Amino acid sequence: MLTHLPMSSPTMEPVASRTANIAGLPRWLFFSLLTIVVWGVWGAVSKMASNGIDADTNQVFFTVGLLPLILFVWWSPRTRGGKNRKAGIAWAFLTGILGGTGNIAFFHAFVIGGKASIVTPVTALFPLVTVILAITFLHERIGTAQKFGLVLALVAIYLLSM
Amino acid sequence: MGFLPGWLIFAAIALVFWGITGVTQKLSTNNISSELSFIWFAYAMIAISVVLALTVPMRYHVRPLIFWLAVAGGTLNGLGALTSFTALESGGKASIVISLISLYPLVTVALAVTVMHERLTIMQAFGIVLAIIAAILLSLEPS
Repeated sequence: MLTHLPMSSPTMEPVASRTANIAGLPRWLFFSLLTIVVWGVWGAVSKMASNGIDADTNQVFFTVGLLPLILFVWWSPRTRGGKNRKAGIAWAFLTGILGGTGNIAFFHAFVIGGKASIVTPVTALFPLVTVILAITFLHERIGTAQKFGLVLALVAIYLLSM
Repeated sequence: MGFLPGWLIFAAIALVFWGITGVTQKLSTNNISSELSFIWFAYAMIAISVVLALTVPMRYHVRPLIFWLAVAGGTLNGLGALTSFTALESGGKASIVISLISLYPLVTVALAVTVMHERLTIMQAFGIVLAIIAAILLSLEPS
């Protein structure tokens, strides 16, 4: 999965055209809700596909589905420039390698009988790992809500595995 | 690991790898735009696929429905990445946007139960609710 939510707002400033309403909703809310739907459907679709193919082949077909989006994003003027292109690109590439490897494991969990309704909520707890890494390596501070979230995530995984 | 269900081991592997991307993605978008980051993320996916296609036996002859479901998976997932970036760059507060997006498994569960007829025990249903709450809490950065 392209999990891929930066933990804080990206460095680019929003421009005026990016703040208009869509369908009566603030732009950020509209796109958040759209994300919920497309990622939610992705979980179900992945399980359905896994009834007919192995995880590796699924990952190859997944990549085919990404191609039109690459072409779409390609035209953005924002692909030029950047504070440190070499570092940014290297981290992005590593993100893709890790994300793709995660995908294969996700698909394989379905192939060997994991339910969409269980595997997807478990894997959606990946911020558990992000938070632990952010504390350990980026020396970020963790709030009370996040501490509570860490404990709750472990309890949830336990319940879902029963 | 005999006492753990097999799917849980692979779900945990996905969770760890995706969790690491939470950090690497941030390090990327600290330096370049989310668009350029997306393109190089996708290039890495292509690299993985080329390596897989060359080294692992592939089963390309699948039913058209299965093929299109898998392809649609890639499009939906990538689209979600782009829409989530747009949400973050449209003035949404990061912790609110990310907490909100953490609700996406609810859509999967709804489809799994209604369309795919998966059945859940009371304990599992409770676990799903806790998982969603946990994901939201984990997204709330201290102010």
